[in-house]
Amino acid sequence: MTWTHRERIMAALNHEEPDRVPIDFGGAEFTTITLAGYEKLKKYMGVDTPTDVMSIIHTCAHPAEEILNRFDVDTRNVQPGPYEGGVDHWIDDNTYVDIFNVLWKRTEKAVDQHFLHQDGPFHGGKLTIDQVEEYDWPDGKNPGLVKGVRERVEQIKANGDHAVCLYLPGGVIHRGYAMRGFESYLKDLYKQPEALQRLMDKLCDFWCDTAESMIEAAGPENVDIIYFGEDLGTQDSCMFDPDTIYKEYLKPRHRRMVELVKGLTNNEAKVCYHCCGSAYQFIPHLLDIGVDALNPVQVTAKQMEPERLKEAFGDRLTFWGGINTQQTLPFGTPEEVVAETKRIINILGKGGGYILNSVHNIQAEVPPENIVAMFETGVAHRYH
Amino acid sequence: MSVQKIFQAVLDYEEEDVAELVQAEVDAGTDIETILNEGLISALDVVGEKFSKGTLFVPEMLMAAEAVQAGLEIVRPLLVEKGTKAVGTAVLGTVKGDLHDIGKNLVGMMFEGAGFKLIDLGTDVDPEEFITAAQENDADLILLSGLLTTSMPEMEKAIAAINEANDTRNLNVKTMVGGPPVNAEFAERIGADAYSVDAPTAVEDARAFIAAGI
Repeated sequence: MTWTHRERIMAALNHEEPDRVPIDFGGAEFTTITLAGYEKLKKYMGVDTPTDVMSIIHTCAHPAEEILNRFDVDTRNVQPGPYEGGVDHWIDDNTYVDIFNVLWKRTEKAVDQHFLHQDGPFHGGKLTIDQVEEYDWPDGKNPGLVKGVRERVEQIKANGDHAVCLYLPGGVIHRGYAMRGFESYLKDLYKQPEALQRLMDKLCDFWCDTAESMIEAAGPENVDIIYFGEDLGTQDSCMFDPDTIYKEYLKPRHRRMVELVKGLTNNEAKVCYHCCGSAYQFIPHLLDIGVDALNPVQVTAKQMEPERLKEAFGDRLTFWGGINTQQTLPFGTPEEVVAETKRIINILGKGGGYILNSVHNIQAEVPPENIVAMFETGVAHRYH
Repeated sequence: MSVQKIFQAVLDYEEEDVAELVQAEVDAGTDIETILNEGLISALDVVGEKFSKGTLFVPEMLMAAEAVQAGLEIVRPLLVEKGTKAVGTAVLGTVKGDLHDIGKNLVGMMFEGAGFKLIDLGTDVDPEEFITAAQENDADLILLSGLLTTSMPEMEKAIAAINEANDTRNLNVKTMVGGPPVNAEFAERIGADAYSVDAPTAVEDARAFIAAGI
């Protein structure tokens, strides 16, 4: 049997073993490569296709089709286009205001630095329900978001049967941090829970509206994976209590989002949730709301050892990522990368349920030899 | 006895109650250092322990630190008046090129809450800025933070510069490093004096340095 890319991905997501481990590269903003890393990779591979920027804020690239084909990548990305008529604008090369009126900055000193939010419409003072209600919210059904989506999906279908990965940015936590400020948002869980929940609902509405128009534009039958998420973990712990704060305030909104996209795709599409850091204690909640896969599987974070994850959740959850970007990829030799990639495939890929990718975006200092070693190990892999 | 109420109000994240209770104790003539040590610092230590154990998380630590801060604002001028020295002086910042300040800010709050004098240089700090601030404030510790793997070489450069200043420029500080990609092995390799896994542990490590006379 010859497997198509799509079949390979869907088999893994259905906990079956395809011919080889499926590979993702560039399916979403957090499974790709930073711009400086990408330039080095292009040079190493002799690719001179102009760089297609996936996100300026996250400073990452859409890998060129030529590179995706070289690594036999099974996914293809679809994501919203630029918002039309929003308040977003550039102040200078390193300062940007987005459609939520959040000010983003980066430092000029570092290589490949991404942007961080510095100010937003609800920073400072006490957050009130009126303030949230009266705010001039952007429209999740803005026509710019869906522009070119149908053409992109048709192009993917025409070029080979790849799995369509629909990346839907945002959610109710990170955009909330950006608009309200990280510390204020977390303190408002105690101080202004009503107003904060109103903010979460407004953000959830925007996400759901975007999801609806994107799925409609792509054609529900063409969407294989819905990718979204926001971090719940830190390197060594949880960002907040999984069984109180997450369960009470955030999980109901995440459930609404997952149930919406599953319903719109007739329960055919799989949902991949992105959560950096120690996600372990949140996994039962994510499974409960219908999440099928977890990315990026930060194996160096607490309780995130691949053996532990596979043992506890391997029959229900697909792991997407897992190749160590904090140690092996940047600092190892190609031989060490090959060994680590094989180790992860053997543990997380047993019985399917694993999609090969780095933990988060490949960073600027990762030697191109190591990137090639990781993907070629995946391409050469055989289940039987 | 009522110092115990301050302790409890911190654990209940009741910022306004802490301020009121601290003021009441001050007015009643309770020893300022007793209020500080037994009311505020020991409560934040309990929160820190729970954070390190993974039974409390970032929102709770922020709430407790804010409550302690409300008490410190009342106590601090009185300590200065009395001529009480801070537990120690620490200079803090993220290394050059790194703007990620969540972890750094948590460290700052815990150090202030533990009675340290803190000089927070913010983000994207040049090695020389750390050294100058430490000299000007006669600091005991320099605390360096970074999130990205690309920051690790910058951390190495900063530690090298600080160590050189310790040898040649009449500086006498211990260096402590932290952040997601950093570990004890890395800290040792670059010549840092300590690696701390989280903010409460950093306070413990700093106390150990102070106790040992730096």
